Amino acid sequence: MPLPQKGSELRVKIGGAAGLGIKAAGQTLARAFVNAGLEVFDLTEYPSLIRGGHNTYTLRVSPRPISSHVETVDVLIAFDRQTVDKHLDEVIDGGAVIFDPEVTSTDGWLPSNRIRPVPVPLKKFAKEAGGPIMANTVALGAALGLVHFPLDTLAESIAAQFAHKAEEITEQNIAAATVGHGYVSKMAGDFWMKVEGLPDAPRRVLVDGNEAVGLGALAAGIGFYAAYPMTPASSLLHFMAAHERDAGVVVKHTEDELAAMNMVAGAAFTGARSMCATSGGGFALMTEAFGMAGVSESAVVVGVFTRPGPATGMPTWTEQSDLRYVIHAGQGEFPRVVLAPGDQTDAFDLSWKAFNLADQLQTPVIILGDSYLSDNRQSVPYFDLDAVMVDRGKLVAEGDVADHPDALGEDGDYLRYKVADDGVSLRVLPGVKGATQLINSYEHDEYGWGQNGEIAAERTAQNEKRMRKLQLARKLVPPPAVFGADVAEADVAVLFFGTTKGPVLEAMRWLEPDGVKVAAMQVVTVWPFPADDVREFLGAAKRTVIVEGNYTGQLQGLVREQCLVDVDDTLHRYDGRPFSPEMVYAKLKEVADNG
Amino acid sequence: MVKVADIERALEPTWCPGCGNHMMWKALKEVIEESGMGFEDYAMVWGIGCHGNGADFYRSQGFHGLHGRALPVATGIALSNPSLKVIVSMGDGDGYGIGGNHFIHSVRRNIDMMAIYHNNQIYGLTTGQASPTSDQFMQTPSTPGGVVEEPVNPVGVAIAQGATFVARGFAGDVDHLKSLYRQALDHHGFSLVDVYQPCVTWNKINTFKWFRDRVYKLEELDGYDPSDRTMAFETSMSTFHELTCAPDECKVPIGVFYREEETFTYQDGLPQLDRPMWKHAEEPRDISEILETY
Repeated sequence: MPLPQKGSELRVKIGGAAGLGIKAAGQTLARAFVNAGLEVFDLTEYPSLIRGGHNTYTLRVSPRPISSHVETVDVLIAFDRQTVDKHLDEVIDGGAVIFDPEVTSTDGWLPSNRIRPVPVPLKKFAKEAGGPIMANTVALGAALGLVHFPLDTLAESIAAQFAHKAEEITEQNIAAATVGHGYVSKMAGDFWMKVEGLPDAPRRVLVDGNEAVGLGALAAGIGFYAAYPMTPASSLLHFMAAHERDAGVVVKHTEDELAAMNMVAGAAFTGARSMCATSGGGFALMTEAFGMAGVSESAVVVGVFTRPGPATGMPTWTEQSDLRYVIHAGQGEFPRVVLAPGDQTDAFDLSWKAFNLADQLQTPVIILGDSYLSDNRQSVPYFDLDAVMVDRGKLVAEGDVADHPDALGEDGDYLRYKVADDGVSLRVLPGVKGATQLINSYEHDEYGWGQNGEIAAERTAQNEKRMRKLQLARKLVPPPAVFGADVAEADVAVLFFGTTKGPVLEAMRWLEPDGVKVAAMQVVTVWPFPADDVREFLGAAKRTVIVEGNYTGQLQGLVREQCLVDVDDTLHRYDGRPFSPEMVYAKLKEVADNG
Repeated sequence: MVKVADIERALEPTWCPGCGNHMMWKALKEVIEESGMGFEDYAMVWGIGCHGNGADFYRSQGFHGLHGRALPVATGIALSNPSLKVIVSMGDGDGYGIGGNHFIHSVRRNIDMMAIYHNNQIYGLTTGQASPTSDQFMQTPSTPGGVVEEPVNPVGVAIAQGATFVARGFAGDVDHLKSLYRQALDHHGFSLVDVYQPCVTWNKINTFKWFRDRVYKLEELDGYDPSDRTMAFETSMSTFHELTCAPDECKVPIGVFYREEETFTYQDGLPQLDRPMWKHAEEPRDISEILETY
């Protein structure tokens, strides 16, 4: 197996029915490890159910940088028999299963000479500590006890988690964790795995992708956020709502997605930095107003966090199949920018940059993510807050429009849509004296008047003016990111966008000891497509592969269309699950070996 | 301060001769002049339809949005710049049909803005199909056998939904319409003015004459109390006129149906909206304290 050496990192999977607090427990554990200086990546898998069903939370912990989940686990915490049945194969030889013999039947899988059973009376201990609900906390303590990890960082993260509740709750949970830890420590003396903290490690941030996007938006000075809840974008609405008063943002949970997108356009008109976010299905409803944002030259940011479609699709799972959709959404033609973060650091950076691009180009900017980004947490370096800049483009927020004679027509009226070489007209905000501007969803003339938009020459001038923004965008947008070996030296070159980044980077690290040299390019800005960079990269490579989470090869199609080149091989996934580094490793190795 | 003539410096209206929109245009221009507002003090928002062509004829700062979506655009404006008075213009198909959902929710939100509906009970711009306020049994190109369903009762729906200012006007009485506009503009909260504005081209039944024979003013009605919600709702139900009704059998009330003097607006519930929200983006926001919790 192309895994990091056994014991060099810890992988824990917690499984059980929805409603047991599996994710919350897992995240408390993740927090404990990050506080101890370790790197973590977590993966939450759950069906679209509130109670019942089968949920898992998988945590990967390492002293070295990691960027994805993996397919195997060292320790399985089974809150029910179903967890054992579904996930025992994932436990590596010599791994352990923590379970409550009172709850999880042992027929058929115990004894196993392959895994180590760790029976713990979770429920009994929980009741003694204060209530059966704390069985998950007992299990966390037990897991730490098993890997010889001290309890104190877990106690700290429990205290942080329950800070807003009664002190008694914190005390009871710490007691529950303590008894689990003590019980297992005694019986686990000979367990091979030992996890140690890194006390001098730099401060890390533990966020999921939606939180990273939200933090970027806050830093950018967002003033208005509107959304209708839809998995996996809902948590961004919660994030924004939680900060509306302390940060100063108007947050509106709207009656539908159509309202959200239209409200955001209205707020952008007043100069508020405005954003909405949804999934592909919600974006389908927003598309009409998205086009309006294009023709009206509204500076809006739209988060599209996708899941498998079409229609309701698989609400809680992941896919990268809306790439073509967001690039083409809307009837007619208008310029847009689509940014695709690959991880939490990208998500923060691209989020604040998206607001600048929307203002500089006066056109909608999409942040394209997916469930793998939205739902999962990763420890990343403290965000670079010093790098955050506000660039509002050509904007006059206060004063008198008469001070800008270039923007005025013969009759002294303000030319909101004055034809400009770079496609961007001077924008003035409502409240600026003398500015009687008409923002229009109709085609229009330079003043915004719709009637004149039907004149052929006016239509041509406005259409060309808008489309010229794509040329400016090419100069402003983040370029592709490259990783690994120099492409000319590499055995294989891999091209990807979005969250395949993590599994690809992970697989590349695993290929190093095999002596396989890999060059990778992440298409960060997927629209306008960086055709020159991609063509050059692929042209210099010996063997080329595209990895993307969809059936039809949407990125590959773009490469063909935009670069007039094709790749040697592809790797696709469209079963709702994210790529694993194991899959990517196998494909890259195969391509390199056959090259 | 905006003068009527300032507004008129834009394009000349292209509405059909005799269209009710001309009178509504006149009434609103005059009320804006009388209000003493400057161009920088208010913003207008339009939906799509004949009324929406007015976006070209009112010289003002404004946003001509999509069919049925004027209210959410207006909401975005009102909830991001508290110093702007927002005036929304919609049609009946636009505002009660495709925008019906936004209508219901805007009413219950009580956002401080003024919503004017141009209600001609027909689709004008798309050549005469039935609208949500067309009378039952009316024959149109889209309902050759007659409209089957009941019309929307916008006044009744708004009152039932907790609206704080609901009025109905008639384009054939500009002075009365102006008084409604004035009160709506002054109202602290969401104000709805539904205006019967006969379509002279497509609606051959609900004509100016049809209305002139039937309208009466609520303020002239003995004992009418616009602060009595039940009375307002019951009065709104009496307006389900039918095409066949004779002038002495059905009367159409116009005026202020309902008004709540002291209201809690949506903006009142947003302490963070103490200034235009664009001011939050003058420089990067310091999020270091928030980031510490992650």
